[in-house]
Amino acid sequence: MEHAETAGNKIIFSVWFGLLGLTVLELVLAYRDLPLETMLSILMVLSVIKAAMIIAYFMHLRYERASLFVTLIPSLVFVLIMMTVIFADSSRLAHMRSLIQ
Amino acid sequence: MESMPMEVQHHHTAPTSFIRKYVFSVDHKVIGKQYYFLAIFSVFVGMVLSWLVRIHLVWPNIHIWGLGVLSPTGAPGGVMSPDYYLSLLTVHGTLMVFFVLTTAPQAGFGNYALPIQIGAEDMAFPVLNMLSFWVTFLALCALVATLFVKDGPPISGWTAYPPLSAVGSDAGPGLGMGQNLWAVSIALFCVGSLLGALNFIVTTVDLRCKGMTLMRMPLTCWAWLITAILSLLSFAVLFAACVLLFLDRNAGTSFFLPAGLLVNGKLQNHSGGSPLLWQHLFWFFGHPEVYIAIVPGFGVISHVLSVFSRKPVLGYKVIVGCLLSIGFLSFTVWGHHMFLSGMSPYSGFLFSIPTLIITIPATIVSLLWLGTVYGGRLRFTTSMMFGLGFISVFVTGGLGGMFLAQPSLDIFLHGTYFVVGHFHMVMGVAAIFGMFAGTYFWFPKMFGRMLNEKLGKVHFWITFVGVYCIFMPMHFIGLEGMPRRYSSFVNDAMQPLMPVHTFMTIAALTTGAAQFIFFFNLFWSMYKGAKAPDNPWESTTLEWTVPSPPPFDNFGGKHPVVSYDAYEYGVTRNGKDYIMQTDPPGQPASS
Amino acid sequence: MSHSSGPLSATAVHDGRDLPVWGGGALPYAVPSKKLGMWLFIVSDAITFSAVIFAYGYLRLAAPAWPRPFETASIVNATVMTFVLLSSSVAMVLAVRASSLGKVSGAVGWLVATALGGVIFDILHIREWLGLIAEGVRPFSNPWGTPMFGAAFFTMTGLHMIHVTIGVVYLLIIAVGFGRRKLSAVDVEVSGLYWHFVDLVWMFIFPLVYLLSAKMA
Repeated sequence: MEHAETAGNKIIFSVWFGLLGLTVLELVLAYRDLPLETMLSILMVLSVIKAAMIIAYFMHLRYERASLFVTLIPSLVFVLIMMTVIFADSSRLAHMRSLIQ
Repeated sequence: MESMPMEVQHHHTAPTSFIRKYVFSVDHKVIGKQYYFLAIFSVFVGMVLSWLVRIHLVWPNIHIWGLGVLSPTGAPGGVMSPDYYLSLLTVHGTLMVFFVLTTAPQAGFGNYALPIQIGAEDMAFPVLNMLSFWVTFLALCALVATLFVKDGPPISGWTAYPPLSAVGSDAGPGLGMGQNLWAVSIALFCVGSLLGALNFIVTTVDLRCKGMTLMRMPLTCWAWLITAILSLLSFAVLFAACVLLFLDRNAGTSFFLPAGLLVNGKLQNHSGGSPLLWQHLFWFFGHPEVYIAIVPGFGVISHVLSVFSRKPVLGYKVIVGCLLSIGFLSFTVWGHHMFLSGMSPYSGFLFSIPTLIITIPATIVSLLWLGTVYGGRLRFTTSMMFGLGFISVFVTGGLGGMFLAQPSLDIFLHGTYFVVGHFHMVMGVAAIFGMFAGTYFWFPKMFGRMLNEKLGKVHFWITFVGVYCIFMPMHFIGLEGMPRRYSSFVNDAMQPLMPVHTFMTIAALTTGAAQFIFFFNLFWSMYKGAKAPDNPWESTTLEWTVPSPPPFDNFGGKHPVVSYDAYEYGVTRNGKDYIMQTDPPGQPASS
Repeated sequence: MSHSSGPLSATAVHDGRDLPVWGGGALPYAVPSKKLGMWLFIVSDAITFSAVIFAYGYLRLAAPAWPRPFETASIVNATVMTFVLLSSSVAMVLAVRASSLGKVSGAVGWLVATALGGVIFDILHIREWLGLIAEGVRPFSNPWGTPMFGAAFFTMTGLHMIHVTIGVVYLLIIAVGFGRRKLSAVDVEVSGLYWHFVDLVWMFIFPLVYLLSAKMA
C-alpha cells in the first residue's frame, strides 16, 4: 500500500533540526540592520522553505501520490498570488499619505 | 468545530424517529430538500421586499399595511422612510445572493442529486453535511432577526462597504445591532458553505460508483464540483473579512477605517485602516460568488437541454473545459467591481482584460447549448422551456457585462440602473431560471409526484416576459443616467423617466404574483400531483434508475455499475431512443 | 495500517464504512476520504489566515510608521514558543506512526504529549498577551503610536491561538477515542494534519509579527 512508505526517525529528526536551524537563522537576521523590504523577502523565503518541509515530511505529502500535491498546492498558491494584487493599492495609499504629511 | 472527528456512521438502516428522519437527518436527500425549502422561504421574503422597494420608488408616500408595525421608526404609519428603503434593500440583496442563489442550486439540488447521479449511497461526510445545513439555518435566522431588532436592518447594502458599515450606530439606522447581526450571519454562512464545499469535492472524487469515470459524470456533477472548489477557495476570504469587520465594529480596531473620519458630525476614534481593503477582500470572494451562483445553473441547463432535445450534449468535453476556465478566471476579475473605488488605475486595466476574456468560455458554452438543441426532437416540457429561457436571459444579461468590463464605460454606468439591470439579468434571473428548470426536472424524483405542466407553462411565460419587462428598461434608463440606490425621485431631473419606473414596478408586481402559481403548483403537487414513474423524462442518468422517491440508501442495497456516457440519446435500441448509463455494455438495452 | 492488499482495499478504512462491498471506484488520491477532507479544509483555512495576514501587510505597508516594540525577552519567549510547537509536531508524527503500527498506548502517549505542547504554547502566549496588555497595548491604541499595531497583533495571534486551543481539544478527543479503540489510525493521522497546519501557520506569524517588530539593540 502506498503510504506504507513513510519518513523514518532519521528523516523526521533531521527535519526538526532543520526547522530549528532555520528559526535560529531568522532570529539572527532579525537583528541585522537590513531594509524592511529585504528583510521581509528573506524571512518569507525562509518561512516558505519551513512550510514546505512541514508539508512534505510532517504532513506526509511527499509520500502521497503526486496528484494530491498537484490538486492542493497550485490552487492555494494561485489564490495567494492573485491576492497580492491588493498591494498595488497599499503602496499607492502609502504614497498618498506621504504627500499629505 | 470543523475539526471534530466525523462520526463513524452505519447508515444502511433508515432512522425511524421523526427528529432523526426529518429534522437532524444525515440523509443527503433530506438535507437537499431542507436547503431547497430554506431557499424557497428566502426567495419569498426577498421577493416581497423587492415589491416594497419597487412600490416605494414609484409611490413614495403610499401607506403599506403592516410595515408600520414591523418598524415604527423605519416606516412610521406604514410610509417607508428613505433609510428604511435602504434597510430593506440590504436584506433583499443579502437574502437573494447568499440564501437563494448560493444555497438552492448548489447545496439544494447538489445535495439531493449529486450522490445519486454518481452512484453513491450518501455524501462522504453525512454528519458534516447536516452541520452545514444547520449552520446555514442559523445564519438565516441571524439575518431575518435584523428585521426585528430595534434599529432595523443595516442600510449598507449586501456589500456592506466601510467606512459606514464599520463605525457603528453613529452612521445611520441599522448600523448598530443590525450590522453586527449581518456580519455574524455572513460569517456563519461562510462556515456552512466551506463545510458543504469540501464535502462535495470529497464525495465527487471518492464515492463514484464502478464505471463512473470523471468523463462519464453528468455535467451537473461537473458544475457542482467546480462550484464547490470556488466556494472552498473564496468563502475563506469572506470569512476573514467578516471577522475583521466585526472587530472594527466591536473591538475598536481600524482595519477598514481611515483617520479623521467625521460621521454625522462625530469624529471617529479610528486611524490607520483603508475602506479599499474591505472592497478587495469582499470582491475577492464576490466575483467567484457570481459563478458559484450561475455555474450550477450551467450544469442543470446543459443536462436538461440534452434530455429534452433527445440529443447528446454537443461538446461535452468543451463544456467541461469552459466551466473549468470560467472557474479559474473568476479569481482574476474581482477588481472590475471596483473601477470607481479609487483603486490603482493600473489595476483597473489589469482587471478589465480577464473580465473580457471570461466572456469567451461563457459564449462557447451558450453556443454549444444552441448546438445541442439544434436539430433535436424537442420536447417542450416546462423544464425545457426554462432551459431555453435561461439561454435567452443569460445572453441578454451577459451582453451588458461587456460594456461594464471596460473601465472607460463603467465610470459612467457603474452608479446607474444599467448595473442593476445587468446583474439581475445575468446572475439573478438566469440562476433562478436554472433553479426552475431543476425544480420542474427533479420534482418527480424528489417528491414522487409530477408537477402540473399546464400551470408550469403559464408560470414560465409570465415569468419570462415579466423579467424582460422589469430588467430590460433598467439598462436604458441607466444609459440615460438614472442613478441606482436612490429611494425616490421626487421633483428631480429624473422625473421624465418615472413612467418607466412605474412600468417596471407594475411588471415586478405581476411577475411576482405569477410566482404564486409556482408556489401553489409546488405544494399542491407535492400531495395531489399525479404519481411519478421512475423515469418520467426518459433520461439516462442514475437517479432515474431508482424509484421515485428513492429509498433511504438510494439504490436499495444494490450497487450500480456504469457502462455508458451520461448523454446517450438519439440512438435506437429496443424501441427506445436512449441508453441508460447502467445498461449492460455491448448488449441491447434492457426493457 | 492493517489493510495492505491492493489499492482498492484502501477503501476498507474509508470513513469506517463497509465500502469494499459497495465496490465503486478506487480512491483516486489513494488517501482515505477523511484525509482528503482535512486537506481541503486546510487549504481553505490557509486562505483565511492569508487574508488576515495580507490585511496586516496592506495596512503596515501603507502606514507611515510601524512600532517595533518587542524587547529581547519577548523575542526569546516567541522563539521558545516556536520550539515548543515544532517539537509537538514531532510528537504528533510519532503518534501517527504508533497508531498506524497499532501501538495504542504509544499513540495515546504521544497524542497527549502533543496536546501538552499546545497547552505550554498557549500558556506562554497568554503570558505574553497579559504582559503587552499591562504595557497598555489595546486593539485600538498602544504606547508607541500607530493604533493598528495592537489590532493586527491581537487579531493574528488571537486567530492562531484559537486554532491551537481547538487543536488541543481535538487531539485529546482523538486520544480518548483511539485509546478506547473507537477511532481508527486514520483519525489520528487526520488530526495530525490539522496540528501540523497550525504549526505551519506559526512559521509565518513568528517572523511577520515578532521578528519584523523586534526592537533593535
